[in-house]
Amino acid sequence: MADRRLGPLQGAGADRRPRIGSIQALPGPLCSEGPTRGKIRLDRPSDDELVAAVASGDEAACRALVDRHLARMLALARRMLGNHADAEEVAQEVFLRVWTHAGRWEPGKAQFGTWLHRVATNLCLDRLRRRRGTEDIDAIPEPASGEPGPDRQLEQRELAARVDAALQALPERQRAAMVLSHYQGLGNIEAADILGISVEAVESLLSRARRQLRVALATERDELLRSKETSA
Amino acid sequence: MRNEMTLERLREIVEAYGASPARWPQAERLAAEGLASSSREAQALVADAARFDALLDMAPAEAPSAALTERLMAARPRAVAPIVPARPQKEKGFLRGLLETVWPYGSAAFPAGTLAAALVMGVALGSASDISLSLTGTAVTASTETETGEGLIALAMADQVWPEEWMQ
Repeated sequence: MADRRLGPLQGAGADRRPRIGSIQALPGPLCSEGPTRGKIRLDRPSDDELVAAVASGDEAACRALVDRHLARMLALARRMLGNHADAEEVAQEVFLRVWTHAGRWEPGKAQFGTWLHRVATNLCLDRLRRRRGTEDIDAIPEPASGEPGPDRQLEQRELAARVDAALQALPERQRAAMVLSHYQGLGNIEAADILGISVEAVESLLSRARRQLRVALATERDELLRSKETSA
Repeated sequence: MRNEMTLERLREIVEAYGASPARWPQAERLAAEGLASSSREAQALVADAARFDALLDMAPAEAPSAALTERLMAARPRAVAPIVPARPQKEKGFLRGLLETVWPYGSAAFPAGTLAAALVMGVALGSASDISLSLTGTAVTASTETETGEGLIALAMADQVWPEEWMQ
């Protein structure tokens, strides 16, 4: 398992988005077509603009869209499904749908990011439902609570594995709410829209999820505190 | 929008959304932040939630592999080349049809031009050179230097001796 981790809100806010320089490097139509024809665009193209360019086969727009959203979709799927290979399959399916439906995308009708999250979440929930009937209960990792190893890096990895196991042990809807709110950084209204439930129901799912996680990770929480005190 | 924030409501918010105000419901965020900054009890609630958030943030999520990115780029939509409409075929006339039957090898301009050039050259060469005609055994010579009609008459009248059998 790679050590490169994505923070829960990576790419979620405007302040975490790629800088202007990234679009200046974009060749072709994005820099010369549209209302600013003949000028170098200093603003960042919106998702809607990129999707329109994708529909016309613009390679730079495809790459920009992948750069902007792939990591977040992969992170969502990884935390929902608990393994990287399945997460890559879901992320790939999400983007194949983008390539297929780009020509029919109606700008302004919905937020492209919300649509992506909805597609990814539903694909994950479908997989989890299919798994339910076939998966061996022993295959679900138990939140371990053994002694941490002397190596600090190993200790961190063990903690991460335990958090992951606790997350995977949550009921699917609670996990989806946690992933969308805590890890993807979406607002409660957006999360409710994606899950097709009310804002109050999202809050209830989140409360129950965090309560269960607190119980499951009580030992780990103390470990983390001790670890921080040691390193301080 | 709730203008008043109670400690109990702040507890509910923090227990559901965690310590970061960015995740709190937008309608209640300002009021909740106000209480969190003014109440020690509220501050303790938020600090405890922040420690738990730090633990949750350890859940792994790897960055996408280069292979995945390349697979997606390989499957991306491609620009479709514009379809050029075929030029409508003109209806062939009788002469064109006949010409194509005689010369089915494409345009007849080249062979026609070659034929015309050959004709012109033939006429030019013929008119530029002398034509001499001599008859063996006679003194008469017809030449193109004289007028052609007179020459031919002279030639016809030159031989006065007719074969005998011709006279019978």
